[in-house]
Amino acid sequence: MFRKCRSIFIVCLAFLLLTACSTESAKDQVGGKKEVNLLFNFATSSLDPNVDTSYVSLRAGITETLVHLNDEDLTIEPWLAKSWDSKDGQLWNFELREGVTFQNGKPMDGKAVKASLERAMNDSPAIKNALRIESIEADGNALTIKTEVPFPEFPSELVHPNTSIIDVKESDYINKPIGTGPFAVSKFIPGTAVDLIRYESYWDGAAKLESARFSFNEDANARSLALESGDADIVFRPEVESLENFKAIDGVKVESTSTFRVHQMTMNLERKALQDIHVRKAIDALIDRSSIADTILHGHAEVATGPFPSTFSFAPDYPKKENGMEAAKGFLDQAGYKKVDGVMQKDGKPLTFTLLTYSSRADLPLIAQVFQSDAGQLGIDVKIKQIEIPEEYMAANRDWDLTTYSNLTAPRGDAGYYLNATYHPKGALNFSGADDDYLTSLIDELNVTVGQEKRSDLAEEIAMYVDEQVYNSFILHPNTLVAYDADKVENWITSRSEYYMLTNELDVK
Amino acid sequence: MFRILVRRFIEVVIFVLVITFISFLFVRLAPGDPVLSILQVDDVSVTNEQVNELREELGFNDPLLVQYCDWFADFIQLDFGHSYLTNQPVMEMVMSGLPATLELAVGALLVMLGIAIPLGSLAALYRGSWIDQVSRAVSLLGAAIPSFWLGLLLIDLFAVRWGALPTMGRDGFRSLILPSVTLGLAITSVYVRLLRSSLIDSLSHDFIRAARSRGISEIRIFFAHAFRYSLPPVITVFGVSLGSLIGGVVVIEVIFAYPGIGKMVVDSIRSRDYPVIQGYLLVMAIIVFMVNSAVDLSYRYLNPELRLKERNHGKWS
Repeated sequence: MFRKCRSIFIVCLAFLLLTACSTESAKDQVGGKKEVNLLFNFATSSLDPNVDTSYVSLRAGITETLVHLNDEDLTIEPWLAKSWDSKDGQLWNFELREGVTFQNGKPMDGKAVKASLERAMNDSPAIKNALRIESIEADGNALTIKTEVPFPEFPSELVHPNTSIIDVKESDYINKPIGTGPFAVSKFIPGTAVDLIRYESYWDGAAKLESARFSFNEDANARSLALESGDADIVFRPEVESLENFKAIDGVKVESTSTFRVHQMTMNLERKALQDIHVRKAIDALIDRSSIADTILHGHAEVATGPFPSTFSFAPDYPKKENGMEAAKGFLDQAGYKKVDGVMQKDGKPLTFTLLTYSSRADLPLIAQVFQSDAGQLGIDVKIKQIEIPEEYMAANRDWDLTTYSNLTAPRGDAGYYLNATYHPKGALNFSGADDDYLTSLIDELNVTVGQEKRSDLAEEIAMYVDEQVYNSFILHPNTLVAYDADKVENWITSRSEYYMLTNELDVK
Repeated sequence: MFRILVRRFIEVVIFVLVITFISFLFVRLAPGDPVLSILQVDDVSVTNEQVNELREELGFNDPLLVQYCDWFADFIQLDFGHSYLTNQPVMEMVMSGLPATLELAVGALLVMLGIAIPLGSLAALYRGSWIDQVSRAVSLLGAAIPSFWLGLLLIDLFAVRWGALPTMGRDGFRSLILPSVTLGLAITSVYVRLLRSSLIDSLSHDFIRAARSRGISEIRIFFAHAFRYSLPPVITVFGVSLGSLIGGVVVIEVIFAYPGIGKMVVDSIRSRDYPVIQGYLLVMAIIVFMVNSAVDLSYRYLNPELRLKERNHGKWS
């Protein structure tokens, strides 16, 4: 009997020792240092900056890209590249910033950047498609890049975090990529956190923080509790319901910033009813945007007038539209629909819609329900169908009319991505099936237009045309919520692009 | 002995063939397309032609049997492939997540044993008393409370209010306590009731009465005879629990940001990262196979009747 108890005791003890030895306590390392712990909502098992879709390396200040997106005026600006130019939009000359070194002390020069970009294209089919580079020549700090086709928006694509520049000679990309940012990796616990230390020779001035922790938790409730307990200092996307609790805690500040995302109602233009512009206008008029923003998103959203948030230079001043039940009824009248026995119909056929929605964005099913209820009051029967992956379903099936869908519109400061993907007949996100010769010619023209101002003007024209034709209906731009301990954290800036989080300016009081 | 080994080897080969083929079939026939995730269509401008090109390049347009044979040819060379999304070797990913999940599973089982054994035993010994009622209430509560809610409650109490334990992460023993307790409490209810009924059954057997008549102490009767006799049904469920714990602790892993294999595979399923799903299924199948074999063996050790029956049937293996 005693021997059995002893065996069990030894097994338990071994297990406890193993777990205790697995990693040292985080708090032991923190004591007295100038450090912050940022808690983010997407986890990653790899820090490889060229393939990680959580973009942790860039967000945590480990790596940097050639081009930076200015969060205030939403234009692109120099970062690791000092300047760039192209006469034809195909042959690009980049001048790299001088005196920049990787975190291992080696210089970031043309040769290193060439190797890094080639590695990114080799390992990521997405980046290969995005950059469309044919060849790269390096000479000192000068870089000559030729794209496969004239590609005027090329510099803005270099904002993408997966184009981060790393020293490819250091090959532990997954656990310890060597970038040029203000923080170097000291320890990576996949799926949990990355510990960072200040890189003293950072080209833009060493970070004010000595160290930082960038941790992950995908549960919004747990993130809120981490801030309340003091485990985290900055928390991304806390649960909206927990904001009231934060008000009661001294020093906690909540920032709500609009994003480059739009929640839209995608319309299937292959369906007969939706080929009538008046029906599309009726749907647009039925969407009660302010009420949705206030009730479903608790006010943390900007009502959308078009795909691009109003601060972009290429977001047009749209003419004021008629909205509400009466306006929708008026548009349906013009389309030849009449309400008979409470049912909206034309030639004896009732107007019904199949509305797709999906739960990975929790607010979209609720928006679908509000629309269903409002349409019901007008005598339109809306059947909601829950799907799993909208991109796959919409591409493979055409048995739907409408979808509540969420799109990134100008994540890198240029309208080209969204307009090509969503309205060009070849675009992979053109689920509405838009195939309008005039619209396609405008997008094709945009694709060869060089110069930010000219591109903005043309993008504005396209956005205006899409609005006139009501090819899709835009509901709102959801905000990003960030809560942080303002008594401790200093110089925190909530980046609208969500690309830049830990910077050399971030500090503690 | 040689024949037994050959038989076991053939069994394992057939098992691996069947399990890999069925899982391959199920994974590929489920709706979904990894190409859209690989090309990051929601972030990078992509044309339909580029989507089709990559699909062709990765062999998704080939017949399923061809795809399986390609996979199997790599598999017998112990090449489990690379993740479509992160380019990491699949086995490296699975093996890096497995220790965390095993830690969590063992922690939960220890918590469960710590509660279920005393509570189930006392409930059986004092049937109908207040302690039996308490055990019933604990079981009911344990079965009714969703584990994600219990986890958040424990975080609120131990981390936010008392500041005694970390809210999340995998930073040593302290960070293992809350997820283990959450998971352990969630599975305790089944064992309390099972152990109670199994003990009541074994206490009513003739050999217990015989032991008492021989003047053996009650404590010795309980532990050396009744308890041991009641274990086989508990261990059967224990084997199943261990399998499901390793495979399905996703919610706990998410709440506590515990980087285990469960969350990893859910992310892989979401993005249709076929090689990772396939590698995970294979490793899980082998673990469950091993656990079940261990459970089978333990019966013979715990229950002398079984050994006796086997001997009577002339089975000496």
